[in-house]
Amino acid sequence: MNSIFNDPGFWHRLQFGFTIVYHYLFPQLTMGLAWFLVYWKWRALRTGDEKYNQAVRFWAKIFGLNFAVGVVTGIPMEFQFGTNWADFSKYAGGVIGQTLAMEGMFAFFLESAFVGALIWGEKRLGPRGHFAAALAVALGSWLSGYFILVTNSFMQHPVGYQIEANGSLGIASMSAYLLNPWAFVQFAHNQLAAVVTGSFVVAAIGAFYALRDLHPVQARLYLRAGTFVGLIASLLVAFPTGDQQAKMVGNHQPITLAAMEGKFEGGAMAPVALIGQPNVAKQQLENPIEVPGALSFLAYGHFGSFVHGLNDFPKDQWPDNLELLYYSFHLMITLGTLFIVLMGFATLQNWRGKLESSRLLLWVLMLAFPYPYIANTLGWMTAELGRQPWLIYGLFHTRDGYSRVVSNGDAIFTLIGFTGLYFVLGLLFLALTGREIAKGPGNETTAIVDQREAVSI
Amino acid sequence: MIAVWYAVVSFMLIIYVVLDGRNFGAGMLHWVVAKTPNERRQVIAAIGPLWTWHEVWLLGFGGTLIAIFPRLMASAFAGYYLALFLILWCLILRGVSIEVGGHINDRLWQGYWDFNFVLSNLLLAILFGAAAGNVARGVPVDAQGNFSMAFFTDFNVRGHVGLLDWYTVSIAILAVVMLAAHGATYLTLKTEGPVHDRSEKWATYLWIAVVPLLLVVLIESRIVRPDLPGRAWANPFWWLGLFIIIASTITLISGLTSRRELRAFIGSNFVIFGLLATGAAAIFPVMLHSTLAPENSLTAYAVAAGPMSLRLASFWWPVGFALAVFYFVFISRRYAGKVSVQRDTQGFY
Repeated sequence: MNSIFNDPGFWHRLQFGFTIVYHYLFPQLTMGLAWFLVYWKWRALRTGDEKYNQAVRFWAKIFGLNFAVGVVTGIPMEFQFGTNWADFSKYAGGVIGQTLAMEGMFAFFLESAFVGALIWGEKRLGPRGHFAAALAVALGSWLSGYFILVTNSFMQHPVGYQIEANGSLGIASMSAYLLNPWAFVQFAHNQLAAVVTGSFVVAAIGAFYALRDLHPVQARLYLRAGTFVGLIASLLVAFPTGDQQAKMVGNHQPITLAAMEGKFEGGAMAPVALIGQPNVAKQQLENPIEVPGALSFLAYGHFGSFVHGLNDFPKDQWPDNLELLYYSFHLMITLGTLFIVLMGFATLQNWRGKLESSRLLLWVLMLAFPYPYIANTLGWMTAELGRQPWLIYGLFHTRDGYSRVVSNGDAIFTLIGFTGLYFVLGLLFLALTGREIAKGPGNETTAIVDQREAVSI
Repeated sequence: MIAVWYAVVSFMLIIYVVLDGRNFGAGMLHWVVAKTPNERRQVIAAIGPLWTWHEVWLLGFGGTLIAIFPRLMASAFAGYYLALFLILWCLILRGVSIEVGGHINDRLWQGYWDFNFVLSNLLLAILFGAAAGNVARGVPVDAQGNFSMAFFTDFNVRGHVGLLDWYTVSIAILAVVMLAAHGATYLTLKTEGPVHDRSEKWATYLWIAVVPLLLVVLIESRIVRPDLPGRAWANPFWWLGLFIIIASTITLISGLTSRRELRAFIGSNFVIFGLLATGAAAIFPVMLHSTLAPENSLTAYAVAAGPMSLRLASFWWPVGFALAVFYFVFISRRYAGKVSVQRDTQGFY
C-alpha cells in the first residue's frame, strides 16, 4: 500500500515546515520592530519629547510578547535538526552547526541579556542605558537572522566546505562560508521584508487608534513612521534586493527559476507570466498573460538572454511541488507590489496632510497588517520548495536527510502535538497582544496601580 | 583537542542546568513557599526577567553540540525523540506560564497558570534527571551508532533498556530534590517576607535530603556501570570536580548555617556544577555508552566533526564565551538584590 503514511520524509518535512513557518511569524516582527524602538529612543534622547518614550514603552510590551513566543517556538527548531533530520546533521553538522552555535553564543545571549532591560529597565538604566539596551536587542536580533540565513544559504548554494575522510562535510574556509554571496542577498531581502512587517503593524495600530479617536499624538506618530518606513522598505524589498535574489536563483538554480515561473520550454526573449496556471501533467502554463522578454531581462540583464525551461533538465531534478512553488512565488510578487502601491499612496496622503482624515485609507491600513506575514511566508516557501529535491543544493537529497530511526507514527504524533500547542499559544498571544493594544500607550501609571491592586487581593 | 571540546560542550550543558535549575526548583516549590497571589507574583518576579537568558544557554549548548559532535547529536536526539519533544513542550509551557500569568489580574487565571508553572517545572526536572541517568547508564546503541528507545521496557538496566528504569528513576528523584533545594536557596536570596522564611526552611530540609539520595545513586551507579570508577580515578578533571564539590559543600553549609544567602547560593551552584562535572569526567571519552555491546559505544573521538571544523570553532568560541561572561556581569549587577512586588517598580509586570 502506498500512501503518505508510509513516507516518513513527508511527515518530517511537514513538521519542520509547519514549526518554522509558525516560529518565523514572531521574529519577523521583532526584527522589524527593533529598529523602530531604537529610532524612537534616539529621538527621545535628542529632543526630550516624551511622546517618543511613550511609544517605546508601548511597543516594547508588544515586542516582549513576540520575543517570548519567538524564544519558546525557536528552541524546537534547533532540536529538530537532531530529532527529525539526524542523517542531515550527521552529514552537514560540522558546517551548519558552526552558525547554529554562533547564533546562540553571539546573538541569543546578547538579545536575551538585554531584552529584560529594554522592557522593564527604563527607570533603572536611565535614558542612555535604555537606548543602549534597545540597540543591543536590535543588533542581537539581526545578527541572529544573519547566522540563520548563512545556514540556509549554505543549503541553497554550498560554499567553503570540504568532504571529510568519513564522507561528511566539514568547513574548509570560514570566511567563504560566512560571506556566502547568497547570504548577503538573502539577508538584505529577508531583513527588509521583516521591516515591512514591522512597519505595517506599526501603521495598522496607528490607524486603529486614529479610527477610534484614541491617543491622537501616538496614532499620528505610528502612522507617519509606519507608512514612510513601509514605503521605503517595500521598495527595497522589490528592488534591488528581490531582483538580486532572483538573479542569484537564475545563476545558481536555473531549474528553480524555471519552476517559479512555470516555464517548461526554454528559449531567448523569455516572458514573465503575470497570471497563469501551471499544468504539470500537460507541461504547459495555461491562460497566461505574459510580458515578452521580461524574464530574460530580469534574470540575466538582456532581453535576448536564453532562459532554461524545465524540460531542459531531467525530471528527477525538478522541484517536487511545482504548483505550490509557482503560486507561492507569484502571490508573493503580487502582494509586494500592492504593498508599494498602498504605502506609496499613504505617504502621499500624509504629505498632503490628509492621511488621518481619510477613513477609508485608515481602514485599509488597519486591515493590511496580516499580508506582509503572508508575503514573508510565501517568500520562504519559494526559497525552500524551490531548493527541492535537494536539502543541500547539488550535494544532498532531502529524502536522505531525515531520521531513519524515528517511526512514522512518532513524527505524526509530535506534529499533531505541535499543532495543538501552537494553536493555544496563538490564541494566548492574540488575546494578550489585543489587551495591550486596548490598554494603549501612555498607561504605564495605571499598570503600576494594577500591580498595587494585585497586592491587595 | 577533542578532549577540550568535550569539556567545553559539557561545560555549556552544565551551565544551562545550573542556571535554569534554579527556575525548575523555584517553580516546583511555587505552591509550598508562596501561599497568597502576591507571594506567588514574588516568586515569578524572581525568575521573570531572566528565564530567557537562562534558556538560551540550552540553545548555545545545542548549537555547539551540532557543530562539534554532529554524529552524537544526530544519534542521541533522534534516539530520544519522544522524550525530547516532551522536554520541548514543557519548556514552552513553562515559558508561557511565566509570561502569561501576570498579564491578567484574576485569581482563577493566575491560579491556572501557576498550576502549569509548577507542573512544567516538575516535569522538566524529572525529564532532565532521567536524561542524565540515561547518559550514565547507556542506551541501546546498535552497530550503526543508532538507537531508538521506548519510554520503559522491563525497568532493567541492561540490554534493551527504556528511558525509565529503576536507576534512571532514582536519578530523576535525586534531580527533583536537588534542583528544588537549589531553587529554594535561590528564592532565599531573592525574596523577603514569608516567601523568604519558607524558602529558607525548605532549602535546609531539601539539602539534607539530598545526602542519602546521592549516596544511594552512587552505590547504584557502581552496580550499573562497574567500569566507571577506574576510568574516573585516572582523570584529573574528575579530581578537580571532586575538589569543587567538597569546597562548595563547605560554602553551602556555612552559608545556610550562618544565613549568608549569597554564599549559600554560590555554594549551591557549584555543588551542582561539581557533581555534573565529575559525572562528565567519569564517562569520558564515551559520550553514549551502549547497553547492547561495549564496542557500539559512541566515543567523543568517533562522533566529532573534522579537525578543520574544530580548529575554526576554537577561534570564535572563546570570543562568544567572553561576551557571555560580560553579559553575565551586567545581569548580576542589574538584577542584584531582592525582588518585592510592592515596592519594586522594576518588578515583573
